[in-house]
Amino acid sequence: MGNISLTLNGTPVSAPQGMTILEVARENGIDIPTMCYLKDLAPVGACRLCVVEVEGSRTLVGSCHTPVTPGMVIQTHSPKVLEVRRVLIELMMASHPDTCIVCEAANCCELRLRATDLEVGMPRFRTRMHYFPVEDENPSIIRDMSKCILCRRCVAACDNIEGKKMFSLAYRGFETKVIYDLDKPIGSNETCRDCKTCITLCPTGALRLPMKFGQEKKGPVLYVKG
Amino acid sequence: MTKKAARVKTPDNILMALQEAQARSGPLTPEVMAGLAASLGVPSNDVYGVASFYSFLSIRPLGRNVIRVCQSLPCHLKEGQAVIDAIRKALGVGPGRTTEDSRFTFELVNCIGLCDGAPAMLINHDVHTDLTPGKIAGILQKYK
Amino acid sequence: MPQEKVVLRNCGAIDPADIKTHRAREGFKALEKARGMTPEEVISEIKTSGLRGRGGAGFPCGIKWEGARNSPGDEKYVIGNADEGEVGTFKDRYIIQNDPFSLVEGLAIAGYAVGARQGYIYLRWEYSYLLDLLRGAIDQARAAGYLDGFRIEVRQGAGAYVCGEESALMESVEGKRGEARYRPPFPTVAGLFQKPTTINNVETLMNVAPIVLKGGAWYAGMGTERSRGTKVFSVSGDVARPGVYEMVLGSPLRELVEGLAGAKDIKMIQIGGATGRIIPYDQIDAPLAFESYLGAGAITVYNRSRGVLEIVGRTMEFLAEESCGKCTPCRQGTEWLVETLDRFRRGEGAARDIGYMQVLADTMALSSLCGLGQAACSGLVDTLKYFRDDYDRGISGK
Ligand SMILES: Cc1cc2nc3c(=O)[nH]c(=O)nc-3n(C[C@H](O)[C@H](O)[C@H](O)COP(=O)(O)O)c2cc1C
Ligand code: SF4
Ligand code: SF4
Ligand code: FES
Repeated sequence: MGNISLTLNGTPVSAPQGMTILEVARENGIDIPTMCYLKDLAPVGACRLCVVEVEGSRTLVGSCHTPVTPGMVIQTHSPKVLEVRRVLIELMMASHPDTCIVCEAANCCELRLRATDLEVGMPRFRTRMHYFPVEDENPSIIRDMSKCILCRRCVAACDNIEGKKMFSLAYRGFETKVIYDLDKPIGSNETCRDCKTCITLCPTGALRLPMKFGQEKKGPVLYVKG
Repeated sequence: MTKKAARVKTPDNILMALQEAQARSGPLTPEVMAGLAASLGVPSNDVYGVASFYSFLSIRPLGRNVIRVCQSLPCHLKEGQAVIDAIRKALGVGPGRTTEDSRFTFELVNCIGLCDGAPAMLINHDVHTDLTPGKIAGILQKYK
Repeated sequence: MPQEKVVLRNCGAIDPADIKTHRAREGFKALEKARGMTPEEVISEIKTSGLRGRGGAGFPCGIKWEGARNSPGDEKYVIGNADEGEVGTFKDRYIIQNDPFSLVEGLAIAGYAVGARQGYIYLRWEYSYLLDLLRGAIDQARAAGYLDGFRIEVRQGAGAYVCGEESALMESVEGKRGEARYRPPFPTVAGLFQKPTTINNVETLMNVAPIVLKGGAWYAGMGTERSRGTKVFSVSGDVARPGVYEMVLGSPLRELVEGLAGAKDIKMIQIGGATGRIIPYDQIDAPLAFESYLGAGAITVYNRSRGVLEIVGRTMEFLAEESCGKCTPCRQGTEWLVETLDRFRRGEGAARDIGYMQVLADTMALSSLCGLGQAACSGLVDTLKYFRDDYDRGISGK
């Protein structure tokens, strides 16, 4: 397949046909935030965080799943795009519990990272929270679905990387939930493969390793002012 | 090639299997869903995921007759609420509930496409239009 | 302006359970004629007619068919969309109840034009009582030899408004959760089972036979520049005569709601159901056309006793319940709007939330994955513009 030319943030670039906008942008050193996207897996298009402005399009377009076309004129960080991304992050936080202070993933949470990047201040949109009991019976995984932002990474990863498909989406609308079996807590006898893929990929503290007190954390400690 | 594999056609149709199971033997119990998963060769969580998506697939027990009253605006404008109240009174249970004797399950649903006969409801597959509170007892009587 | 019956030409005039009565009124003549033409000629006739989709989006039918026809592949599908879930729409039900044969004929012509050997009709579960009639029409058409080389299967929905959206519908036919897909690829390239597919609304398909018989130019002679032909409207709400009416596109809204349906004392009109527009009475002379207001032709009339917040609030509750939940803006946004509108309805709204609603409406329109989220705030945005006082009265302390 041949190369095509397009305009990315005002700069002419060329890219192989079939590449997505996201791939082209990353190749050109532009960071578009993503949440549901996983490199090497089929795009999902669910979180919408990766949206960009494409000239001639009525709506913004998801860059992780839209292939580039000849002559495309793309803005990845226009004020309009940034405002939409900010609202999307606020919406992801809208039903997320305010327990960051005691969350084990607090220092490596992608939701917090993106919120900081986008300079999200006090969230404008708050909804009721989902309260699900923490599933902590299994020796390999703890699930706290109250913290899930439905990025679907765990669903895709278990299915496509591990070939097992422990998780599926259930219900719909605001009630949508990632479930195990017939929406049961992961019991102590589920062996899965203990590969930790889903835990590594989860952007929030919804999935985590059972940890004993004093054990090492996943990432560096938080930066503390002063 | 794993890249596209996620979206290729499912060999067996979970939704149709669930619809058939529900038509044959009523609500989708955990046993029914687990059995379907085994026979279709798909994870039980996938079966549950489909079953819980659709309003008319029931993962909860149902009565012998299911009353589905439209709660959308066109029916609401034509005193739909009075009809809902009349049914609540006649059954002794509110929307979302099943009567003690399992004769009726009472549900509120979104627009059922009978707005020219508002307020309207379905009982099982039967259409009832131009409802008034006064008509309810007579209609319910026909369902045992 | 009187009614003009193209789509509803046979309604009331034939026995919907007897193909002979349909044939007596030129039934299946168009299919025979189409099969004597090349598929390209059929498509060209549809393009000449200017027929645009009647399911809400208004996409030109001929161009859609051409796209699927030109997509490489032997296996292609055509789908008749009888999910009709939009609040206040019942025209497709009326059509199937009265003339299922013309739908079958239209779908068979589509199949011939596109090069599909398999067609589906996706019938919403709520219309289960039409199943026998529809299957009977297909069986009779097959027995009469009209469906040689073309199979039509009726698939039932299971209660999900979003499954009327074309990509969710295809997921549902494949047996999955009815979640929307991203596009591209468009269905005409990779649709049902990833094969080239056209999806058309029932009413769109009803127009096909007359166009083939009388010619695209005849059809294009009706309507406005950008909206050719007739449209079937479902009129409900505060009107004396709710029901189904067919008019030439471009007819004034007033003729329909005051003239035909006998509405009085109108405050506002919702055009296009839950995802549609809400306009005040002073726009009653607007033409009904794609370029102004149309959607799928659901017209719900509200008189002066009706409250704006209740209408918008209930509409949002519907959309929140029916959102597939896949994408962030629609799943989370509809919920926030339901909760916020509820506060306004109770007189506990916060002044700043009015601005936030606008911001959220923009984000949902710009970033939602499918038409549900993209259009979810149409009525909200309209009423914020035309009935701002009603919102202000919902602010706590006012
Ligand atoms: C949320 C949503 C619901 C829809 N419901 C229907 C429906 O019930 N019937 C229908 O024909 N089109 C519906 N559509 C439009 C379809 O996506 C699609 O545009 C249409 O079926 C194409 O047919 P047409 O070009 O003949 O209109 C819906 C769209 C959205 C976004
Ligand atoms: S559990 Fe984690 S990885 Fe899975 S969907 Fe939720 S946030 Fe994403
Ligand atoms: S806009 Fe709503 S219905 Fe459409 S994909 Fe997103 S969540 Fe689903
Ligand atoms: S990263 Fe593209 S939609 Fe989520």
